[in-house]
Amino acid sequence: MSINRREFLSLCVKGGVSAAALTSLQLQALTGATNAVELGDYKALVCVYLYGGNDSLNMLVPLEGEQRSVYEQSRQNLAVENPVALSIKNQFAGGVGIHPSLAPIQSVFESQSLAFIGGVGTLLAPTSLSDYKNKTIGLPKHLFSHNDQQAAWMYGREKQSLNSGWGARLLERLELQDEFAANISLDGTNLWQTGSATNAFALNKSGISNINAFGGYQPRSEHVTSIMNRLLGNTSHPLSTAYANGLTSAINNTQAMNSALESAPTLITPFSDNSLSEQFSAVAKTISVQAKLSTQRQVFFVSMGGFDTHDNQLTTHPALLNTLAQGLSEFDSAMKELDMADKVTAFTMSDFGRTLTSNGDGTDHGWAGNQIVMGGAVKGGNIYGELLTQHLDGPQDTGGGRLIPSVANEQYFATLAQWFGVPSSELVDIFPNLSNFDHTTLDFFV
Amino acid sequence: MHYKFALIASSVFILSACGGSGSDDTPTVNGNKIPILSVADIPSDLSKGQTVELIATASDKDGTIESVIWQQTAGITVLSEPLESISTTLTIPEAQSYKPVTYTFTVTATDNEGASNAKTLSFTARNNMDEVSAARLLHQATMGPKLSEIQNAQGLSEQQWLDKQIALPINYHRNYLVKLNDDDDFKYISRIDAWWKAVMQSDDQLRQRVAFALSEILVVSDENSALRGQPEGMVTYYDLLLKHAFGNYRDLLEDVTLSPIMGTYLSHLGNEKADDTLNIRPDENYAREVMQLFTIGLEELNLDGSVKLDAQGNTIATYGQSEIEGFARVFTGWTFADSETFKRKSHDYIKPMQAFDEYHSGKQKTLLNGEVIPQGYAAEESLQIALDNLFNHQNVAPFISKQLIQRLITSNPTPQYVERVASVFINNGAGVRGDLAAVVKAIYLDDEARHFGSVLNYQGKIKEPILKTVQFWRNLDAKSPAGYYKTWNLINSYGQGPMQSASVFNFFRPDYQTAALRNEGIVAPELQIANDATLIGTMNALYASLVWSTAEAHSDLNSNSIYVYVQSDMNILEKNGVSALLAQYNALYFASAMSSNTRQALLDLDAYFNEDQYRERVSYLLYMIAISPEFNVQY
Repeated sequence: MSINRREFLSLCVKGGVSAAALTSLQLQALTGATNAVELGDYKALVCVYLYGGNDSLNMLVPLEGEQRSVYEQSRQNLAVENPVALSIKNQFAGGVGIHPSLAPIQSVFESQSLAFIGGVGTLLAPTSLSDYKNKTIGLPKHLFSHNDQQAAWMYGREKQSLNSGWGARLLERLELQDEFAANISLDGTNLWQTGSATNAFALNKSGISNINAFGGYQPRSEHVTSIMNRLLGNTSHPLSTAYANGLTSAINNTQAMNSALESAPTLITPFSDNSLSEQFSAVAKTISVQAKLSTQRQVFFVSMGGFDTHDNQLTTHPALLNTLAQGLSEFDSAMKELDMADKVTAFTMSDFGRTLTSNGDGTDHGWAGNQIVMGGAVKGGNIYGELLTQHLDGPQDTGGGRLIPSVANEQYFATLAQWFGVPSSELVDIFPNLSNFDHTTLDFFV
Repeated sequence: MHYKFALIASSVFILSACGGSGSDDTPTVNGNKIPILSVADIPSDLSKGQTVELIATASDKDGTIESVIWQQTAGITVLSEPLESISTTLTIPEAQSYKPVTYTFTVTATDNEGASNAKTLSFTARNNMDEVSAARLLHQATMGPKLSEIQNAQGLSEQQWLDKQIALPINYHRNYLVKLNDDDDFKYISRIDAWWKAVMQSDDQLRQRVAFALSEILVVSDENSALRGQPEGMVTYYDLLLKHAFGNYRDLLEDVTLSPIMGTYLSHLGNEKADDTLNIRPDENYAREVMQLFTIGLEELNLDGSVKLDAQGNTIATYGQSEIEGFARVFTGWTFADSETFKRKSHDYIKPMQAFDEYHSGKQKTLLNGEVIPQGYAAEESLQIALDNLFNHQNVAPFISKQLIQRLITSNPTPQYVERVASVFINNGAGVRGDLAAVVKAIYLDDEARHFGSVLNYQGKIKEPILKTVQFWRNLDAKSPAGYYKTWNLINSYGQGPMQSASVFNFFRPDYQTAALRNEGIVAPELQIANDATLIGTMNALYASLVWSTAEAHSDLNSNSIYVYVQSDMNILEKNGVSALLAQYNALYFASAMSSNTRQALLDLDAYFNEDQYRERVSYLLYMIAISPEFNVQY
């Protein structure tokens, strides 16, 4: 149940909820007494979504010793060679290294601005292998399916009749649903940013996008605009209304964003010439005019595709990781340049981890994986959660090397949400499965 | 025989004098000759809404005709009670469904001694599309109808138009694929050019529309993929959708499965049996997606497309990991046709893949509904059994039928509509399952598609962004002087392009809703790509084309730029005025459903310009139509 007052009231009016079933927080919402959160300093979350299911267990691999031999035995030709050693000594006894293609973020990690979270995945409750096999614990629906697991990551809870993304729920809890600039996507529509009262403003990754019809001879363009507004404001069919409302807000928000971006400073930090870096560059530009947009919180969505490495993994996966690492490192530099590093946290999500076993030259859909968080507020240079032993038929292998997560993605999200400003006592309202875990958050923020 | 009836004053009897001929073979009853009766022929091709004259001729050789009575025995009631009259003019009721209606009338003549004679007259009345019906059908069934196409469809029944379309020769896109400029080879842009040419120029518009819909269900893409270097293969894949658009879904599924383009896209090409020493097992990619997206989906469905629930109210998964592993084994051993060996590949992206049995998994394969392929089966036999197993699963009919309805007619079909179409998928009436021609006809001819009976207030769908441009370009004869359609970056402008989805999950999902539509309980898949960036992108692309790129506005045409030609529309403005032009645009762009509000807004827009600014007036009218909410929904 979302804690957004508007959604909640509308549900109650429809008779869907009895007052007895309400939590204290929901009762507060109902009576209009939700505690407004004092927002204070500006903060932004940047979700880096890796579409297709990143083989993230191969981002962090054992360097030596027993874990290494278990790993090589499982992974065979897909085992990562020449990992770059990290200085930390927790997790694997023989040390941990990152995939050599992630080298661009090694220095960010060592400078304490980046951390990894190990063993994360969708979970309804702590789950052991025997729980899994004997079905003594409920499991997330449609494990291993792309769009269902994407949805589970983006909703931050199980699918229900009315769904909303957790990014949107954070904004709605902070009562920022009416500020278009609080919710920005560089990759169009996505579930994470779609709530009951907010959805993402889709920013073109090139930044400013002029509207052709509004240029040229002014009296004519004004006339054209007035007729357009008349048509867009006068609809009866629900689908044409949805289209018209979408276009109207697209026009208004694009113009507002254009005018804010006109004053954006030119960044010294160079960005690479690929889609992810272009998206990061547009996010950095938008953050640079944050004062003009006058919103105290922003969530951003950037994405990369191609992680569904069923084949040619030895060629494609290193290239993908390198693009990711390069983009993250550029974004880190840009935030430092803007003196915003402490206020902005970037983090990764992906459909699922992948199988330890190979299908010849690639891997298939798995479950647990590792994630990256980056920003000045992050207690970087460390690995949180648990790096899972990559042991085929080991204690967490459900078969074929699909590992059961030891950290719920909702714990990962709740940590980010808490930093963003959601009161600790309300995290479980936003991420309901947290009530099944001893700890609602991980300790990766300063 | 004895009849009692009231005489009606207006009845006109044709009485003939008693004949004197001795060789009279008129039947007699108790010595009384029965009346001689005949009915006049009626036209053989009758349409609903038309009038028809029923004319009898009656005479009696040995007496007089007392009465002639018409009675209706079949068809929609036009004679609610017997009518005493020698002739009558009836108006055949307007269409209430696509079905031809057979009318049967009996006429009975009775003489002064009570003997009677009866004749039966039967005719079938078909639908006769007027401009409104033709425009509506062609908006649903073409890539964007031209005026001539709407005019040619008028007078036909919906069924006749569909049958004619289905019978047309296939315009394969391969025929339009050319090497552009001085290229040595086909390039990615060649296949985009071929797509435009085919959808713009070909007359088999229904097939083109259905194939486009199939390309959004059986998805392959060369966006961010090595397939970008295989334009000829990609076009061959699209042609396979055209080929089977009115064929059988089983054949389509087999050709899709064996396409080297699909094999590359979903990585079953080169997939081999397990090697336990190396922890290698078969690739599960195609196994998973062929079930989840191409045939059955994740959850068991009722015939009407709704999700089945078990006794506890939970959904029922259609398959689990063992079925995935079973199908993954099925799809092993296949690689490019004419390969020397499994590992020395030919890289032939055109011909169907070929099997190498030594790389095929001979292990037992678990299929759906408990079926198992025992161990030892070879690649080809396994494939046939597995595809039959998939094709015959109870989900396929509702799963595919509903998505086709959503792509072609309406985002929110009623469960009854889905069930009617799914039933045809199961059995085309001649015992054949998966007959797509029958399915397509059932989709288009359904009352819900044709607006017979009550029309739902949310009937219809958002037009796909790229099809909006196709619609304008077909009517405005868009072309470049070089003859090519080099449209780069369609994704940036429209959020879609032919075979350019970001993933096998298509540009949009069938169940996508905006927050506002969620409250109304309806979905709008196409809105998943209608975000701020693409809405502005599409708006700008349409402005650039319709306002900036009329050929008439340029004295020098750039060889590769695509221009629209608006001279004939300008002529209508000049000769007949804006009302005449809007009447034409109403049929062309609104399926004859333009509201008076929209019409008034367009008139007010037009009033800004000087009367003789014909080109500007046409451009801005077209642009405003393109933006208008009514144009953006296909009803």
